[in-house]
This record gives sequence, structure tokens and C-alpha cells, in this order.
Amino acid sequence: MLYSVRHTTRFQYKLPVSEAITEIRMRPRDSEIQHCNLFRLTLRPQANALSFTDSLGNVVHHFSQPGVHQELQIVAESEVMVSAPPVLPASLDATAWAQNDEAAAAGDHWDMFQPSAYTTSTARLEALARELDVTRRDDPLTVLLALNAAIHRTFAYDATSTQVDSPIDDALLHRRGVCQDFTHIMLALVRNHLRLPARYVSGYLHHRRDDTSADGASHAWLEVFLPGLGWVGFDPTNNILAGERHIQVAIGRDYADVPPTRGVYKGGSGSELSVSVRVRPLHGSGGAAGTADAPLDDGSEPPVYRSTAQALQSSYAQAQQAAAQQQQQQQQQQ
Amino acid sequence: MLDTELSIQSGMPAPFHAYQLDDAYDEMFSSAGRPRDHYKRLFRRLMELTPEELEERQQAADLSFLHQGITFTVYSDTRGTERIFPYDLLPRIISAAEWDTVERGLIQRITALNLFLHDIYHDAQILRDKVVPFDLVYSSKHYRREMRGLDVPHGIYITVVGTDLIRLPDGQFAVLEDNLRVPSGASYMLANRAVMKRVFPGLFRNYGIRPLDFYGQALLTTMRYLAPPASGDPSIVLLSPGVFNSAYFEHTFLARQMGIPLVEGRDLIVHDARVFMRTTSGLRPVNVIYRRIDDDFIDPLVFRKDSMLGVPGLFSAYRKGNVTLANAAGTGVADDKAIYAYVPAIIRYYLGEDAILPNIDTFLCSDSVQCSYVLDNLDSLVVKAVGESGGYGMLVGPHSTAEQREEFRRQIQANPRNFIAQPTINLSRAPCFLEGQVEARHVDLRPYILYGERVTIVPGGLTRVALRRGSLVVNSSQGGGSKDTWVLHE
Amino acid sequence: MNSSMLSRVADSLYWMSRYLERADHVARQIDVHLTLVPEQATEAARKRRNRLIACLVGEGYPVEAVDSDYDLVHLLTFDEDNSNSIMRCVASARENARQVREQINTQMWEQINQLYLSVQGTSLEWLWQGQPHRFYHSINQDVYRFQGITDSRISRDQGWHFVQLGRYIERSAETADTLNVDFRELYSAALADDAGDQQTYLEWVGLLRGAAAYEAYSKVYMANVQPRFIIEFLLLNPEFPYSVHFGINMVQASLDALGALTDTHKSSRVFRLAGRLRAMLDFGQVDEIMDSGLGSYLLAIQNQSAQIHEAIYQTYINYPIDDKLAA
Repeated sequence: MLYSVRHTTRFQYKLPVSEAITEIRMRPRDSEIQHCNLFRLTLRPQANALSFTDSLGNVVHHFSQPGVHQELQIVAESEVMVSAPPVLPASLDATAWAQNDEAAAAGDHWDMFQPSAYTTSTARLEALARELDVTRRDDPLTVLLALNAAIHRTFAYDATSTQVDSPIDDALLHRRGVCQDFTHIMLALVRNHLRLPARYVSGYLHHRRDDTSADGASHAWLEVFLPGLGWVGFDPTNNILAGERHIQVAIGRDYADVPPTRGVYKGGSGSELSVSVRVRPLHGSGGAAGTADAPLDDGSEPPVYRSTAQALQSSYAQAQQAAAQQQQQQQQQQ
Repeated sequence: MLDTELSIQSGMPAPFHAYQLDDAYDEMFSSAGRPRDHYKRLFRRLMELTPEELEERQQAADLSFLHQGITFTVYSDTRGTERIFPYDLLPRIISAAEWDTVERGLIQRITALNLFLHDIYHDAQILRDKVVPFDLVYSSKHYRREMRGLDVPHGIYITVVGTDLIRLPDGQFAVLEDNLRVPSGASYMLANRAVMKRVFPGLFRNYGIRPLDFYGQALLTTMRYLAPPASGDPSIVLLSPGVFNSAYFEHTFLARQMGIPLVEGRDLIVHDARVFMRTTSGLRPVNVIYRRIDDDFIDPLVFRKDSMLGVPGLFSAYRKGNVTLANAAGTGVADDKAIYAYVPAIIRYYLGEDAILPNIDTFLCSDSVQCSYVLDNLDSLVVKAVGESGGYGMLVGPHSTAEQREEFRRQIQANPRNFIAQPTINLSRAPCFLEGQVEARHVDLRPYILYGERVTIVPGGLTRVALRRGSLVVNSSQGGGSKDTWVLHE
Repeated sequence: MNSSMLSRVADSLYWMSRYLERADHVARQIDVHLTLVPEQATEAARKRRNRLIACLVGEGYPVEAVDSDYDLVHLLTFDEDNSNSIMRCVASARENARQVREQINTQMWEQINQLYLSVQGTSLEWLWQGQPHRFYHSINQDVYRFQGITDSRISRDQGWHFVQLGRYIERSAETADTLNVDFRELYSAALADDAGDQQTYLEWVGLLRGAAAYEAYSKVYMANVQPRFIIEFLLLNPEFPYSVHFGINMVQASLDALGALTDTHKSSRVFRLAGRLRAMLDFGQVDEIMDSGLGSYLLAIQNQSAQIHEAIYQTYINYPIDDKLAA
């Protein structure tokens, strides 16, 4: 399936800012089942976007806006071809657990086994693991499919309940959250209780009416590495496997590795963020480029998804006192 | 041991009355009253001087440090207190033959550690070959995933190294710690020498001592060599955390010696992956940064987000190769004290040689068998936190209290990966002038190694002294002092 | 050798110099005050105290809280909450010097450090019971010594010019401030008294002494203490180092030198501002100034000095980086 995606991000600062440096992860990944044909960034204030590929293969763009401004707008437009992932078997052989452990002992995917910032175990997580009986039995695939369904069942989707960077305990307490919470909770259970390598995926979902997750926003799910199958995507928010409707943008250990935007600037005192995401299927490859180039305000914009969720920009205050303390923290090998 | 406490024969001149030998290797005496060859002239000279004359010179030296403002900061409260780094009048002397071994050993070690860093940030062959356990590397808090696949100029990661050496009771030099991040102390080495030349000019002239003065120049040449190819006549700066940092004096001193600007994070700006400094004549490009700030603080966009000492976007310029950081980011993984245990294996793996300078036996608490041994022997071992330096996070078993041992037991059990232990080594002792007489105190040695077009090792280094009687801790933050170190031409 | 200078370094040198100048000024003002007071009537002394507070701490400071010279000495010398107390000024000057320790020479550092230690080591009781004059005089001496070392030991590079700018911008501002506050009150009192009694005479002399000007003034005008001569001398005299005119000349000279050293564009705002203020003083006539209102003239000087300070920052220190990137 060929998609056109437009991801619009707007920061409005309460006071003017300057010397802003921003890093974004918005370009869809290239992989065996996905290819990004076209990617275009429009920045306001205008800036020269440079890019690099990080050690996980994510393409990161970064740019500086030295002048005084009070609003930052990022429009990322892309055209992505996504093919259906290979069909999974109904189950795996029970020896898959042992195969997995062998690979782990050899050091494969070491990072994706470890508890990370958002997937460190808590008492509530342990309680959930007991409740859902997350243990090794049968074969990995069977257990994962059951877990995917169980998390979907146990948690309510609520766009207002948490923020993208809330600790999992918030969602665990209220049994509600957004796609990041569903994903972090499943990641933590898979790593800590099934001891399988699992990674966080941020991206987009081409929505259908019956999906649980909200349209107009970015999406998150996880991938688990299974012997013989490679990375398999699970979307616990919607209780589905990642498939042709899932567009991968970045992978990491958890959200902290791959926020869509991360920035530092001088001045200001807080900002308001609005994000909108539009994913549209393109029929026929011929007119694709033209569609991606459609004017920005074509009237079909879905309602803006407003939240303070992705408030990742931190002001680069020069508080002398705090700086003095950090100067002392510098260990210096003396 | 019998006869371990031999006093110098009566009839010895005043300064040595209280001097005693024990199990530790003595730098000056092979046996009571018998100085080693390379110390003989100093011995004779000390005989000629009255304690009053020595005292006078000690005071002249102290005053000179005070006036120059050669101080360091101790973190006891939030503001930190400035103190003079105690200086001992008597030089520590190393013979040419001994130095030759040290030099070869250090070059070998630094070469191998540099190859190790390149490997673990690229193909990680040494981990695949199971020479070093991958989880030790990947779990090190100084392993920087951002460095994976990134190429640094000339493949040089560790430009400035200060390796801590000690002398074992048999006189052999051994490596205690590799300091590969931001080793400090070179300024004290240079200041000690300058003062020594002033207070003991006569002695100095005839001893055949190899010079150190070229350090600033050599440091500059090394930094210049690492400049990005396109930078022409490179602009080099020293990046300091600022005036509250304990090593601020050193930063100002080295910047002056090298003739380069001393900058703080707020002086630098990154635009389109290029680094500039804000000057009165506008923005000036910066090509090489001799940074004296830890990785964690250099770029709030990539590392610690609350850092106010760093430069937002600096890492993007580094990644593009537009600016060189010396030392490179991520070198701390190779001086992790758990990795230290594998350095002899690392040398063998990359160079096919045995280590010239031995390691100290090290117990890794990450290994459950070794860990239980450590927990059973806390009173005899030295326990160290793997990622710390400067004498912080350390337990010296034989000198510890029961509460301190319990505290460490708790910490080790909570996070075994974070600790290693070593037998308590009786560091060698050297004569020090203390309160009107000469007494023996434990010392170590930190030579400075510069890795540029070639490896340059300053002959000597900083000899640190545990000034408290019987103490084995030489760190300045823990009551240590220092003395001039002479390496002889022959 | 690198000819460019970090903006942060320029900033520290400038403020180091300003704070020292301010400490010097405050010390002299208190000293003069304490020598005048014994011969003054209570009411006049109270007024004088309030004027000093307005000048040296700021208009709007609750003067009721300071009802003795003992309190005044505390406020102006040791009060940690008064950012213009001698203690705070000296500490700030030293802190700035410490930030650029590698840029100034050892003698400068030692001098400023010694001044800091001597102020730190003095208690209010000791000072009050002992000889305040000696203490304040020693502060003046220390500052002069520092300036002497600076002037005789430092290359005339950018650093020196920022030190000069700090010193003379501060000094002109202090002189203009003193005139503004003192003159307003004394002049109206003098008019009311018609000829100026002995009390008022004392005050005029105090004003001159406070501006370090009494001896120099006497050389020019002899003992003829007249308000208009005082104005002429402190505002317009181009030879007296504490006059506003002299200060602005020095500021302009240093700005010109800096312009050449940094290749600053000749049409830069900072040069126009300095040139305008200089012309205003070059061609100033005391009669015209008195006729059209001294207050508004002084206000114009103060505003323009503040603008020059701003422009220096905009040009050399806090400039927006996008301008420079485009250049």
C-alpha cells in the first residue's frame, strides 16, 4: 500500500525565543517491507535541515534557528510504500524459548532485553504480570498474542489520561492510557517476564473506523524478535499485529530514544504544542508525487489534536546557581 | 618479616632521624642508610642542608604556590572551598632504565585501549570473540551508543591520558587505573617543576633531569593534528565547566600554556552543525575542542538534558566531523574499573603481546563467585565504584570502620556491576620533608600521555603523596599532596 | 596571538571595572558624609543621609529604616541585601576577575583579592568604634592602586578598553547622579536662603568632595564655591578626570579603538550615540543649561549613557547571532 503522510507540529512560545536547535525523527524508515519514496520538510522559521542516521537506522533531521521567533512549525510530508509482512504461523515450536536464550547468551539484541527508562519494573507492573499470568509457557508467539489481547482488554484508551512521556505507573494505576503506555507496559512485561528482546516503534497508523487509538496523532507499538521470524510487530492498543497499515518512523528502546521532536532554545517560558497527523492511501503510483505535493491547507485537514503531551523543548536557562553545581559535579579524574 | 623497622644508624644527620623502612618498596633507600644510585646526590645534598634551611625552602615554595593562586576546590559544601595543593619539597627520582620500561608499557597499553575503543564502537569483534564480556561493555554507564559507527579523526579516541601507576613491594611498576576521560593534574606537574627549579637551582643543574616544559607545546601540536581536514589553520579552544570546577586553575593554566582561548559552554554556538565562539568581533569558527567537561554535560540535546555547561547541538557538529572533541566521546567505557581487569587480555588480543606493565588483581562483583569473596573480605580489600574517579566511591578495607563496610556491603549487593575490589597494595614510599624532618610516605605516579601523530610521554608526571602517616590514599580531594618527579637522562 | 576576545571575557572585564569604580565612589561618599556630619544640624544631616541613600542605593529605598549614620554605614558598607554596598561591589568585582583569571595579570588579581579580604575582614563595630576615615580611605587607595597597575601593566588591547569603558561609564553616571540628586535639593535651598549660609556652603563643598573634585575645583575657581561653577566644572570640564565630559571623551576614545580592533562598522549605532553625547558636552554652555533646566539636561545625559551601555552590549556582547551568521 502506498501512503501519503503529513505530520504537522506547531510550538507556540509564550515569550520570544532564539538560538533554537531542534532534532526530529519523522522520516519513515526503509526496511524490507517499507520504503520511503519521498520526504519533504517545511520549516518555519526557515532553516537548513541536515540529517544523519543513528545507530538503530533511524534518520534524524536537525536544524538551527538562531533568530528571534515565537512559533516553530514543522511540516513533514512523506510518501511511503508499505507491504504486508510475511504471514505468521499459528504458533512456534516450543523450542523457540531455548533458541532465543542461546541468541541472548551470544549478546544479540542486548539493549532490547534491558529495562530502559520507561520499562523499568514497578510493584504495579509485577502485580499486572501476576494478574495476566505473564510467564513462559507454550511457545513465544502464542504467549505474545495472548498478552497483546490481554493488555488491550485490561486498559482503556483515553487520550486525556496520560502524556506521551508519563511513567507507566500512571497508566497502571488508572488502567487507562495512550498508545505509548500500552506499548511501554507490554515492552516491560516482554523483557522482564518473558526475557525476549523487544523494541519500541514510533510511527503512524492508517486508521480504520474500528481502531481504538485516536486518528490524527502519531502511533506507537512494539516489535519482538522471534527465532526464525525476526522482528514481529504487536499493536496492543488495537489488539492487532503490525501490518500494512503501520508505517514505521523510528525504533528505540522506548519513547525516550525516539521522541518526534527534541529541542533546546534560549528564552521563553513554556510553550503550547499542537500536532496533527494525516495518513492517506494513494491509489496508483503515477499521481503519487503530485498528491504529496498538495498545498498545505487543502481544507481536508482533520481536527487538530491538541495536547501539551510532546512538550519536549526545554529552555536553555542560564541559572548561575544550578550551573555552578553542575560545574562541581564534573568529576575530573584527579 | 623480621627486621622490618630498621632505623637509620645513629650518627646520621638530622633530617633522617625519623626515617623508617617497612614492607613497602622505598624509592630512595635499598636498605637502611643506603640510598639507591640515582638518589645518592640528593642524599648528599640533604646532608649538607640544615633543617632550618630546608624549612626555609619549603616555605618559599609554599608561598610561591599561594601567590600564583595554584589551588583546587574541595566539594564539602555547595560552594566548594579553595585550597592550596600541598607540595612536598623533596623530588621523587626515577632512573632512565626504569623509565624506559614505563614508557614502553604505557605506549603499548594506550595503543591497545585505543584499538579497543574503535572496535567496540564499530564491529565489536573483541566482544564476538568473547575476550571481553559484552554485557560489561554494554552496561557501562560510559558506553555511548551515540558513538556507534562514528569515525573520529585518525581513529584517535584517547588524546590525553593520565595513567595511575604504583610500585609493588618488589619495585615493579603496575597500573592502578587508566584515566581516559578528562584526566587532570598536568598543571601541577609543571608548576611543581617550576617551583623546584627556583628553590633548588644548584641541585637541579647537575642532576641530568629530563625536561617537561614542552608539555603545552606538545598538547597544542597534538590537538592541531586532530583538527578536521578542512579547517586550514585550526582554531582550538579549551572548554571548561567554569570557575566553580575543582580543576579551574588547571584549565586557565593550560589554556595560557597552549596560547588558546579558555571557553565555557555559553561562549559557543552551533549553527548548521558548525561550532562558533561569540567574540567581540563576531562569531569565530572553532575546529578543535580540548574539552574538560564530561560526556554527560557536553550537549543537552544528546546527553543530560538539564546540562547548562554544554553546547546545544555540539554533538551534531562532532558527528559531521566539523569539530573534533579531545578526548573523544565515550572513552570512559575503557577506563571502567571492571573493564580494567581485561586490559591485559585486550593487549594480547590486539597486539599479540603480553602486557609490559602488570595489572593489580581485580575481583569483579558482577561475577557472583568473586562477589561473595569480596563480601567476605571487605576488611582487607580496596573496593571501588567502577565509574568513579578522584578517590570518590572507594573503601580501603584495612582502614575502614564497621559502618563503612556495612554501607559498602549494602551498595555492592544492590548493584554488583558497579563495584570491583583489589587487594590492598602497599604503595611504595618516598622521602618527604614534614615538620622539620624527612619521613617516608606512600606515593603513586601519574604520567601524562599524548596521543597524536605519535605518542608523546612526558618524562615523569605527577607524583602524588599520601601526606597522612600510613595513609594509602593520594587523591588531592582526600588529603594528598604532590612532589616534583625527576626522570634522569641516564 | 589571537586578537579576538570572547564576549564573556569582555563582559567580565567591563563589570569588574564598573564594580570597583562604584565601590570607590561609595567609599568616598560615606567618608565625606561622616566628616561633614559633626558640623551639621540634625535636620540637614537627615536630609543628607536621605540624599545619599537615593544616590547610592536607589530612589524609593525606604529611608525611614535608616535613622542614624550607624545604620547608614551598615547599609552602604556591609549590607548583603544592598547590591551597591561596598562589600557586594567588591565581591562582584572579584568574582568577575576570577572568571577571567587567565586574562588579567597576577598583580591585578592579588590587588583585587587583597581588597576583598580586607573588606571581608572588617566588622561594622570595629569600623564604627575605630577610624572610619582610614578604612574608607584605604578602599580608595586600593582601587587607585588597582587602576594604576592596570594602566601601567596591561597592553592597550581590547581588554584594557573594556576596563576603561566600565570605569568611565560608571564614573560619569555617578557624577551625573550626584549632581541630579544633590543639586536639586541644595539649589532650591540656596535660592530660598538667598545667599547660601554656612550650612549650605558646607554642603556644596561636600558635593565637590564626594565627586573627588574639591582640590581640582579650587585650582580653577579658587575658594569661590558657586552652584553654576560647580555645574560647569563637574559636567563640562574636559580636563578633570571625574567630570562627565572627561568620562565621555574617554568612553569615545575607547570605543574608537575597539572599533578598529574588531572591525566594527563605522556607522554602528554605538559610535553615533557616543558622538552625540560627546557633542552635547563639547558645546554645552552652563548658562544655557541652567536656563533651560539642569534636570532635563542631566536626564538626557543619564539616558544617553544608558543607551551607550546597551549599544556596547548589542555590538560586542549580547548581539543576536543571526545577524553575524548572515554577515
